[in-house]
Amino acid sequence: MRALDLENESKFREAAALFRQALDAKPTPGALLGLERVYAELRISDSLLPTLDSLIAREPHEQLYRSVKLRTLQLLGRQAALRGAFEEWAAATPRDPTPYREYARILIQLGQPAAADSVVQRASMALGGSSQMDYETAQLRAAEGRWEASAQSWRRALVTAPQLAAAAAYALAPTPTASRESIRQILLLPPADVGPRCAAAELSLNWGDAPGAWEALRALPPDTASASAWTEFGERALAEERYAIARDALSSALRVRASPDLAVEAATAALRAGTPSAVFTLAPLSMASDSAHAAAQFVPLHVAALAALGQGAEADALVKHYDRWLAPGARTAVAKMLATAWVRSGDLGRARDALRAAGPDADSSDAAGWLALYEGRLGDARILMRGVREPGPELAVALGIVARTRGDSAPTLGNAFLTLARGDSASAATRFVAAAAEHPEAASSLLLLAARINAARGDESAALALWQRIVGDYADSPEAVEGELEWARLLRRRGDRAGAIAHLEHLILSAPQSALVPQARRELELAKGTVPSS
Amino acid sequence: MMSQLATALRRLGAAIVFLLVATPAVAQRLLVPMDDAQTDHLKAYGLTYNAIKAGLQSEWLLNYRGGAFLLPDTPELRKRAALDGIAVEPVNDAQLASIRHEMAGGNMEAVPLEKAPRIAVYTPRDAQPWDDAVTLALNYAGIDFTPVYDDEVERGDLSRFDWLHLHHEDFTGQYNKFNLGYRDAPWFRALVATSTDAARRLGFPSVPALKKDVAEHIRQFVDRGGFLFAMCGATETLELAIAGHDVDIAGEFADGTPMDPEADAKMNWSRTLAFRNAHLERSPYVNSMSDIDGHQVNVPGRRQPLGTFTLFNFSAKFDPVPSMLVQDHRSVISDFYGVTTSFMKSTLKPGDVVLASEEGAPWVKYIHGDYGKGTWTYLGGHDPEDAQHAIGNPPTDLSLHKNSPGYRLILNNVLFPAAKKKPLKT
Repeated sequence: MRALDLENESKFREAAALFRQALDAKPTPGALLGLERVYAELRISDSLLPTLDSLIAREPHEQLYRSVKLRTLQLLGRQAALRGAFEEWAAATPRDPTPYREYARILIQLGQPAAADSVVQRASMALGGSSQMDYETAQLRAAEGRWEASAQSWRRALVTAPQLAAAAAYALAPTPTASRESIRQILLLPPADVGPRCAAAELSLNWGDAPGAWEALRALPPDTASASAWTEFGERALAEERYAIARDALSSALRVRASPDLAVEAATAALRAGTPSAVFTLAPLSMASDSAHAAAQFVPLHVAALAALGQGAEADALVKHYDRWLAPGARTAVAKMLATAWVRSGDLGRARDALRAAGPDADSSDAAGWLALYEGRLGDARILMRGVREPGPELAVALGIVARTRGDSAPTLGNAFLTLARGDSASAATRFVAAAAEHPEAASSLLLLAARINAARGDESAALALWQRIVGDYADSPEAVEGELEWARLLRRRGDRAGAIAHLEHLILSAPQSALVPQARRELELAKGTVPSS
Repeated sequence: MMSQLATALRRLGAAIVFLLVATPAVAQRLLVPMDDAQTDHLKAYGLTYNAIKAGLQSEWLLNYRGGAFLLPDTPELRKRAALDGIAVEPVNDAQLASIRHEMAGGNMEAVPLEKAPRIAVYTPRDAQPWDDAVTLALNYAGIDFTPVYDDEVERGDLSRFDWLHLHHEDFTGQYNKFNLGYRDAPWFRALVATSTDAARRLGFPSVPALKKDVAEHIRQFVDRGGFLFAMCGATETLELAIAGHDVDIAGEFADGTPMDPEADAKMNWSRTLAFRNAHLERSPYVNSMSDIDGHQVNVPGRRQPLGTFTLFNFSAKFDPVPSMLVQDHRSVISDFYGVTTSFMKSTLKPGDVVLASEEGAPWVKYIHGDYGKGTWTYLGGHDPEDAQHAIGNPPTDLSLHKNSPGYRLILNNVLFPAAKKKPLKT
């Protein structure tokens, strides 16, 4: 301990003395590795060689001493001595693959793939096969740019050492685009083992193919090793907001290894993936240890799912049942979700009642502001929405429109937002267009919102018509810039580079101070092909 | 103090007026600042190049605000600047007189730019522009160029151009010795096949023979008045191919015969542009061509770490050419590796002009010289914004490096042949 403390305090000479004493008394891996570290810090690694020679003379089969000697000679750049040390080691342990492995790795690190290849071939002859050198062969082939041969070796190595999956993915990541699918296919060859499949999934993620990543893992047999892989992958997908994939991965893990925490994660992913009905099967209330646990972890998810499904009565019953176990903060949050459930059920009155019942906090919240907006009470909506403590993008859009719309009553506009809240985006877009006719002062922003909804639905033609209308009829509005940018992006996606360039140049020249100009310039570069598209 | 304040206020005022499209066109000139006020240094070169190409009277204000450009104030240039995000400042006659007065009193000089050079880049037809820093820079800046390769060079097409760029071509015909690490890689096999086919088609017994003849054409191009700019491995191998014109300097894997054991002694350094007395790497198993390169990036035991290099400050009035080549808003730049990263001082010819070097190191980074009626400039390294570029790495996106001081050195080379030569005062 004392030697380590001295090393941590950068007192390397003093630490070296203690490590030497320890080695003299009784050689241990800790003492030798410590001496290796501090000698390297003192730049006297060559002083380690006599110690190593004496240790090796006493225990010629001890792999650690031999490995440290190779490392030390590598550090010192003594290539001839390095080769000599390897030869001695190989001669001392003729059936052991370790000397070949260690030396081949060093040669790869030194940028001598041809020499490393020779060592691997020698190992195959000495050991009666190449299977024990798969890891080194895989690294070697990757360094040579022989990607398929590398993947085949990795596949074999990963069957027995799945913990190397990340290393395999790192080594194979630079594979050129044209060869990537064949690399994936090699790793996906049956039988489905965790190591190769994890490497294939990691590579697919690196290459921007998240669905492909899940496909690589999906076929694993349902056992605990697979469940660990699925859980890790699902949690990563959840953090990266790839909700559908996260839901599938976590649900698979849950079937093998049920636990309340995993159930909550899987249900959260399902809710965010737009499949609220899955919440009830993935995280049933019966999984909770008691009512308080259910109220804290499971009930909010169930109420949110019921809200998304527009089942206000069921949500109301659930909230009432668990009300006494709900913490005050949770009660306000659940009341907002309940109000949303009633909104989606088409009952604004009950939605308002739900907020009132939850107390003044809920009744003066953004949820109350949204309700006022849905009812077309613009004056109330302005006041309530301005005081929001947790603003989000939807609220910012609504506030922008409310602020630009004159008067205190706007039933058509409210109805458009209400339709959107009920999940009928096609009708909502039509109603925002109708509202634009009633509110010319906010027409450009209402049309832009309708265009965004259409684009999100995948109806590019409808969105394009609205962008064109904004650019043509409201050329001086701030929305015209975004409309023209989106129009140009669509043209570029459709292959009309000239059209895209014309619009982007018009945008930059007509609105040079717009915050969207940097994005427009980037699009312009891509349209002209003056920068790589990757 | 007052003078600094006045300068700061002047620059602040200039920055405020840079939104040109909304500004009435009343100025006579547009100043393109190249100091930290510039928002896209690289595209500024394209703006200037295309102005010269359009026949517009332009000037390079050496050492003034980072090597600013002075262009006529035309609606088309204003529009181009606005589209490309280039900072420009309108200046009227009075402001221009003040600038000239300031320049007259310091190490500054205005150089007229009169003719846009016709640019050729020696690169295979199917090469992606992204693997060559110069084509990256030309593409990004919007400067047109013509790719030429062995067929065009052998046909004598170089005479149609003023400026030629070379990058990581191996003119010794040994494929940069990539056979050591990539002999079975599909791209390497394809390279060998296409090169061998080209040699046969053009009547040469081997790829080294073809490449040496191409190198000879390039030497003659410079001798007759051409401007040559080379980077990375092309610098070193061009010189070796010229000096070794009559010697077998290629390994057996390249031409079927081993290197001449006396090759070192038979090199004719009197024909080369920049180097002399270099020693060839004799081993076919060592990934190095000679001892010209100081960094030896592909030889683990010899590899030197990267540092920084410093641009020399020349007299703008008496040495305008080297001054043009080092115009930059930074004088100290991070180094970057290439097949050839740097040039050992011990191998430089006495007439070479060192433009940039690393303090205390035995090598230099950036050199220039005259040869016959032409000039050559060599810059070591592969990509100024990707210090350790390796095969297969993603291409550099210059829209993320708009103010790159390293890439400015490349573009200085593109523009300097446009300068009107002034007779030196005696």
